[in-house]
Amino acid sequence: MGTTQRMCKLIAGAVAVAWAGLAVADETCNSPYTTRLIKGQEDYVHVWTLGIAGMGDGSDKLVTIGANPKAKDYGKVVHTLSVGGRGEAHHMGFTDDRKHLWAGGLDDSKIHVFDVGTDPAKPKLVRTITDLPQKTGFVGPHTFYALPGRMMIQALSNTKDHGGVTGIAVYNNRGEFVAKHDMPAGEVGGAKGDGYGYDLAINPAKNVLLTSSFTGWNNYMMDMGKMVADPEAMKRFGTTMAAWDLKAMQPKQVMSVPGAPLEIRWSLNPKDNWAVTATALTSKLWLVKPDGKGGWQAKDVATIGDPAKIPLPVDISISADGKGLWVNTFMDGMTRYFDLSNPEAPKEVYTKKTGKQVNMVSQSWDGKRVYITSSLLANWDKKGDDNEQFLRAFHWDGKELKPAFEVDFAKEKLGRAHHMKFSAKPGAKT
Amino acid sequence: MRGPARLLAFIALAGGALAAPPPVSAGGPARANGVPATLGLPAMEVPADNPVTPAKVALGRKLFVDRRLSPNGTMSCAMCHVPEQGFTAHELATSVGIEGRSVRRNAPTVLNVAWQRRLFHDGREVSLEDQVWGPLLAVNEMGNPSIGYVLERIAALPDYRGLFEAAFAGRGPSSARVGAALASYQRTLVAADSRFDRWRYGGDTSALNAVEKAGFEFFTGKGRCAACHRVGERDALFTDHAFHNTGVGWRRTFGAPERTRVELAPGVHAELDRRTVESFSEPPAKDVGRYEITLDPKDRWAYKTPSLRNVALTAPYMHDGSLRTLEAVVEFYDRGGVDNPDRSALVAPLGLTATERAALVAFLRTLTGRSVDALAADARGAATAAGR
Repeated sequence: MGTTQRMCKLIAGAVAVAWAGLAVADETCNSPYTTRLIKGQEDYVHVWTLGIAGMGDGSDKLVTIGANPKAKDYGKVVHTLSVGGRGEAHHMGFTDDRKHLWAGGLDDSKIHVFDVGTDPAKPKLVRTITDLPQKTGFVGPHTFYALPGRMMIQALSNTKDHGGVTGIAVYNNRGEFVAKHDMPAGEVGGAKGDGYGYDLAINPAKNVLLTSSFTGWNNYMMDMGKMVADPEAMKRFGTTMAAWDLKAMQPKQVMSVPGAPLEIRWSLNPKDNWAVTATALTSKLWLVKPDGKGGWQAKDVATIGDPAKIPLPVDISISADGKGLWVNTFMDGMTRYFDLSNPEAPKEVYTKKTGKQVNMVSQSWDGKRVYITSSLLANWDKKGDDNEQFLRAFHWDGKELKPAFEVDFAKEKLGRAHHMKFSAKPGAKT
Repeated sequence: MRGPARLLAFIALAGGALAAPPPVSAGGPARANGVPATLGLPAMEVPADNPVTPAKVALGRKLFVDRRLSPNGTMSCAMCHVPEQGFTAHELATSVGIEGRSVRRNAPTVLNVAWQRRLFHDGREVSLEDQVWGPLLAVNEMGNPSIGYVLERIAALPDYRGLFEAAFAGRGPSSARVGAALASYQRTLVAADSRFDRWRYGGDTSALNAVEKAGFEFFTGKGRCAACHRVGERDALFTDHAFHNTGVGWRRTFGAPERTRVELAPGVHAELDRRTVESFSEPPAKDVGRYEITLDPKDRWAYKTPSLRNVALTAPYMHDGSLRTLEAVVEFYDRGGVDNPDRSALVAPLGLTATERAALVAFLRTLTGRSVDALAADARGAATAAGR
């Protein structure tokens, strides 16, 4: 049985269970194949943190913070786990059984696998996967997306020239390489792919995988001031999304989405068949929906802040009912809430400055808690006093973000706070 | 003692892979049709104590593309001198090193680097054997903490077992032998025998068209390009090996823009003011050019004259990569560079017409060597074989 056939079987067998299982999920940006989900209050927030030379041990680390207001450790750092070196810690993803958290380094391309199932208060590093560049020619593992028994990894760059041409790698849960898939670089379904990658997200019911496109190592590792002044560098950002046949892992359609489309969020409402993304450079929300001809279309449906000022929308977090979307804009430090009741015309209904720089935003499944971190990339973060590093937790009552707690990552000499994932104690509400 | 000697052995390209040295000829290896592959270049000078051998070249090529030669396994020589990009980097004005650290200058091509008398834009190094340690140890390039660290790392890699010993008469890795191997490989990166060479030195009168021939006339005449990018009667290196202030470096020091125009997507631009840009920028590194080496004020913002061989493949241009096209370079010199107190007397407004500028660009595009693609494929083959 070939790789594609095996993937077909695995995916097909899990579609119904996984999609139905979403109704009890905790976070709203996990793979639909993730099981053992938290039904209520999360106990911990794990923050994948970039090391800063001269701050503490200077190492990338997984920082675990108490998040249950009924616990003594609420709002406190309960554990740190340094992995050694600064590999540009960036994103994480749970395995399908939620026992392990895979965390990648965009620079050194290492993938650290943490056991968070045995004792989420004390994650353990159980494996470091180092063969991604050698097996695939890709570097910069970004998105970790659980499949049944496997992990799909969207990379950002390549070993050849550190540009943006890259692909998707598939590993099994034992950390063994299974397959690679190049991003579409030629004309596919009416538009030309740029070969770039960023995020991926699956709609199992429609057998579709959506991918977006960012930029290569040269740019994401470069000082942002140097980059914006370099016209050659600025030409190297993604301008496309692609719709793939998931089971066959074949790109079927490339869609023009200029301005670096980043995070992809499918509506979690089982009745919906659309996804949204934000273009970082052009500051727009895009809707991806069926085109009525058996394919997909991407359309620009809203602006985010004043695009002329390049607010740089980065992370987005969709509500469980698909009716609302949090958007963080890095440059102005704003956290924005868009009413998605009509996904064809999202409206910004709430805006709050939550930091001097903000990047990731994650909300609980019930939408009552919103967590924000500060770091975008080591060499893109602001300088001087604007370089705040934090995790900030808020309560959301539908009208106002109210501070719950904050961890100052600079004061605690931890580093740059980036991606977050929630966990709960074994047997507690899972 | 390292004394210059005529190239006694050379590595021939055969089917995209480096083979054993062919029979020696004064002009270098012979192509199947008997025309020297180095047509247009003078004889190469090779240090007497480091003759080019196949074993050293193969080892040097392996080292050149090996990303494990940086502490975090991300950087090799070839990550800035990208084989498929003319052994430079098209996507960056100035290089980016380990952990994304800023390098203040553009990565120069290493094609034909064997003929460079001084290395780096400021000419601070004089031998290829020694030069290789600059990037290996620079904190913002490959970032290795010491020579010993690199040598231990190489010695610990199983796939290097026996390679140094085979190349250096039984001797293992050392700083000198790493330099010798990398230098030997770089001496095989020969890219001449261009259409220009075949026209000027090979007797092929049809190798250039009329516009390109006119471009050469402007190059040596009204355009005054050949004053620095010299062309001889029997060969041409397109450099005077000297250092000149054209104003590019001076402008970078004194002319920081108040507003930066940023391309957000094809055809979509925005402008950022200086304060906004500074909020997310590290302070730019100072760069005074050749002066940093000589401390002679007349060398302020002077940089080495690059060869123009293969120039169509080595964008962006100037020591800081600030000019993206050959057209922009010609326009820059037509304007007389950037006026400043130390500007070279050789740089002055030219008064070229649009037709003359276009002809100059057409001429510059004839300088691409015949072997470039094969050299790139050969380098990539080594990288693939190493799984890196």
